[in-house]
Amino acid sequence: MTSEFVVLVAAGVLTVLLLWAGWTHTRLRRLAARVDRAWVALDAQLRRRAGLAEELARFHPAALGDAAAGALAAAAAEARASAGGDRELAENALGHVLRELPAELPAVPASLRTDLTGTQTRLALARRFYNDAVRDTRQLRGGRFPRWTGLHRSQPLPRYFDIDDRCTPAPRSADPVGRPGAGRP
Amino acid sequence: MRIGLVCPYRWDVPGGVQYHVRDLAQTLRGMGHHVEILTPAEREESLTDPFITFAGRTVPVPYNGSMASLQFGPVSAARVRRWLREGRFDVVHVHEPATPSVSLLVCMIATGPIVATFHAATTRSKWLAAVAPLVQPWLEKISGRIAVSDFARRVQVEHLGGDAVILPNGVHVPFFAEGPTLPGYGRGTGGPPTLGFLGRYDEPRKGLPVLLRALRTVVQEHPDARLLVAGRGDAAELDRLVGEELRPHVALLGEISEADKAAMLRSVDVYVAPNLLGESFGVILIEAMAARAPIVASDLDAFSRVLDDGAAGVLVPRGDAAALGSALCDLLADPARRAELADRGAAVAGRYDWQVLTRRILAVYETVLPPDGGVVTAGPVDDFPAVPPTGTAAGRPRIRRPPR
Repeated sequence: MTSEFVVLVAAGVLTVLLLWAGWTHTRLRRLAARVDRAWVALDAQLRRRAGLAEELARFHPAALGDAAAGALAAAAAEARASAGGDRELAENALGHVLRELPAELPAVPASLRTDLTGTQTRLALARRFYNDAVRDTRQLRGGRFPRWTGLHRSQPLPRYFDIDDRCTPAPRSADPVGRPGAGRP
Repeated sequence: MRIGLVCPYRWDVPGGVQYHVRDLAQTLRGMGHHVEILTPAEREESLTDPFITFAGRTVPVPYNGSMASLQFGPVSAARVRRWLREGRFDVVHVHEPATPSVSLLVCMIATGPIVATFHAATTRSKWLAAVAPLVQPWLEKISGRIAVSDFARRVQVEHLGGDAVILPNGVHVPFFAEGPTLPGYGRGTGGPPTLGFLGRYDEPRKGLPVLLRALRTVVQEHPDARLLVAGRGDAAELDRLVGEELRPHVALLGEISEADKAAMLRSVDVYVAPNLLGESFGVILIEAMAARAPIVASDLDAFSRVLDDGAAGVLVPRGDAAALGSALCDLLADPARRAELADRGAAVAGRYDWQVLTRRILAVYETVLPPDGGVVTAGPVDDFPAVPPTGTAAGRPRIRRPPR
């Protein structure tokens, strides 16, 4: 009886472990897909921003002033080229140049201006959602069970993408995406 | 865009989340989107709108002084699955998904972009701390999280470990800004100065006793001042609170409709919010500002945020009747200051207009949509445990089979 009992218990434990491993694997797979989707969205907004910045620099240098237009074109080109290198740094630099532009650019067509504002808003959203997905993934992968079982060990741990995506230099001015904690302790 | 909204609370009972979902759906439809709502209700017949789908009844569970509604089980799950299959939504937007409700069921069953809005502020944190590990596996499926306030975001960050974008509750600004006043009252018509109070007047935490004490000071300087009280409560109890001396100065409107509420807010010279305890979000203050009523409010965290740290309204220490009285006297004697506060208030309220907020929510939807399209569907039937996770919860999950 005892040996049968031991076998039964062992089988039960094994089943539970297998089910748990399967479930954890499902979660990890789901999270990996979410990180991928979030990255695609973030990448699209970053490219869009760089494209709009190039357009602004190329077709409206008079409105910006030559120096600003030059800096913008350089920053946008840098951001575009940096896909493999330190992208955060390049994107931060582009964001900085865009923030330094005067708030009112009457000589620039309204459609381009709204496009740029909308892209910056969506960029901030996409970045938050991407980092959120990364956080969830890292939290689960850092848990005991996935570490012991080595689930998804072959996959690289996703990295946070940290840039300053404020649209305006003033810290507490209109905040189109309602970034939490802006200007607050 | 085809949007599915999920409200976890009974549709036929008034509540902040229900109003939020209703107003969001209305505004989205006004912008030309297809919106459907899935919600529980007490009686299926009460859901007359063809865009609203009945999700079943909820089991009310007393929690923390109020009722939390629970809903779980195979029947509800089947309804959710059918709604998702038939709706073919581009995005599903669930509200308050951290409780065992139809919102959590949607998170379990749906495959595709899910957006969630978290409403609860601090009150249910113990409950959340207990359930968070159990629901975490399904909350992980949410692609975009929204919190209605800093407090709601904090609860989310602390207990559920995710970040959220803050998009506050909205207000239909034009509904409050334009329209008639209450008959016999009117701001700026030279009538007697009128104060307004709205809320459950027999609940001490709403602060009416403090306001009544302050009113004694006010009537000494403005002998014809009046106070309008609207809301639910025990009228006899209010009468006792008011007392002989103040009785001619207080008018009880009782429970009023939304239209009358807007009319009342347009009628008063000053709106008073003397609340003593936590309101997570002062929607009523935004409504008052939309109606261009100058505000005197107690210095609760939520109120001072809505009022831009006192720039758009006068803040007084909570529970301090003397300070409230003198603030009211000063404001009633100073029409220029009232006009200035009304202007600032209207500007603040504009930021909370549903039109503005709905555009931001749409930006959230667009961000989580996959670039190649695709709709939200229900996952395979054996995708999740059909019974509520009990005990150590996800203890016996079924293995989800990959579709390919």
